[in-house]
Amino acid sequence: MSLEIANVSKSFDGAEAVLDDVSLAMHEGEFLALLGPSGSGKTTLLNVVAGLTRPDRGRLVLDGEDITDRHAGARRFGMVFQSYALFRHMSVAQNVDFGLRVLPRAERPPKAERDARVRELLDLIEMGDLGARYPAQLSGGQRQRVAMARALAISPKLLLLDEPFSALDAQVRQSLRGSVRELQRKVGVAAILVTHDQTEAFAIADRVAVMNTGRIEQIGTERELRDAPASPFVRDFLKAGAG
Amino acid sequence: MMARAVLIALALAFSVLFIVLPVAAIFTRAFADGPGAWIAAVTEPETLAAIRLTVLTALIVVPVNIVFGLAAAWAIARFRFPGRRALLVLIEVPFAISPIIAGLCFLLVYGAYGPVGGALQPLGIQLMFNLTGIVLVSLFVTCPFVMREVLPALSVSGEDEEHAALTLGASGWQVFRLVTLPNITWPLVYGAILATARAIGEFGAVSVVSGAIRGQTMTLPLQIELLYNDYNTTAAFAAATVLALLALVTLVLRGIVDAIQPARGATP
Repeated sequence: MSLEIANVSKSFDGAEAVLDDVSLAMHEGEFLALLGPSGSGKTTLLNVVAGLTRPDRGRLVLDGEDITDRHAGARRFGMVFQSYALFRHMSVAQNVDFGLRVLPRAERPPKAERDARVRELLDLIEMGDLGARYPAQLSGGQRQRVAMARALAISPKLLLLDEPFSALDAQVRQSLRGSVRELQRKVGVAAILVTHDQTEAFAIADRVAVMNTGRIEQIGTERELRDAPASPFVRDFLKAGAG
Repeated sequence: MMARAVLIALALAFSVLFIVLPVAAIFTRAFADGPGAWIAAVTEPETLAAIRLTVLTALIVVPVNIVFGLAAAWAIARFRFPGRRALLVLIEVPFAISPIIAGLCFLLVYGAYGPVGGALQPLGIQLMFNLTGIVLVSLFVTCPFVMREVLPALSVSGEDEEHAALTLGASGWQVFRLVTLPNITWPLVYGAILATARAIGEFGAVSVVSGAIRGQTMTLPLQIELLYNDYNTTAAFAAATVLALLALVTLVLRGIVDAIQPARGATP
């Protein structure tokens, strides 16, 4: 899988641009973090990649194919929302099964196969015996893991994570960070993480893109960003977070 | 302690004086000449026709209301468009306007001398003084119910779940059926019940456009007034018990919905 974001711009209701000519290329299996203060456009960029927001200009190219006009469902990108957005009226197992259940009849695996897949995913997130629970009966960390499993159920080409740890307390956040990274490696899927927390970004991602006012200021590893910040903003932002 | 007792006594006294007594009076008066007279009165062809018309009207009005109420609530909750706030206010107008004025407005526009009614007249289409007219004004007076019940639930449930369903490959229809609808089922049922109660009981607006043709365009509330003005008191009250019973059925349905509806925010 290779994804290329080329010259993407977006503004809402004619206001100042939320995304201003953003370009970025992702490598096979890479874990990339979009890091920036709130209002820097990182969530909007994630929504553009997901197909939930239409860019005004620019293109998205997936494995050489232009997917700018492809709708969200057809992109097969698994997304984990900040609020987790679990389906409240469905059990954990039904939540995970959702992406398989809505497949067109011709592509939909038989029920037994789907059940096996759901079991496999629940085991993967170590919630094998909680399939019958409802989201309201789960802890924050468990909900987050269910959201991960649900996104992985569609065998996504790319995993999109929108501040997935922000609603959790510090301790749970630490341990989940590790397990999300581990899951991502195990499944071998590329991932984009949106976060305003640089410790989190550097702990989990291979490369970090620092965003500010709708532009990507710099992309690189922690070393590259710290040793050679490309702009005063990057330098100050990283310094402020470290202190 | 004292204050509590007084408040409870006041509430009870008010309920008995203004709610229980009048309803009880309807039933006492209806059965004053014995059950035979009651049965004769409610099986009288004109009254039966009125019951049929009332139920038919509700059966047409409520489904239409559900569809349009859902559409309006959806549009207002999910989209920002010019005229959105106007729509929000406009949809409440039927609550603010006296039903009889609503009836007159419909007569002015859709009657034989109105712009729409007049244009349709040469084609042999008459909108007022028949079932169409009754349905139209009933739609008007009941149109806010479903929207008002559904909108808050739709706003609370938010877009995230719908977006999640979209990224998982669901079509627009699947998102609505599998994600949106289950979150608003109870408010929807509740709104439909309220709309039904109102459609069955509406008097003012319907009286203007019905044309009052006995046995044909008389709904149950109109028929009751007619019988009462004819000094046919027993028949009037007998018919009234039927209407009261229809209303009680919707009340019981409401109670059932309240009882089995999972507490707001919780999960079954």
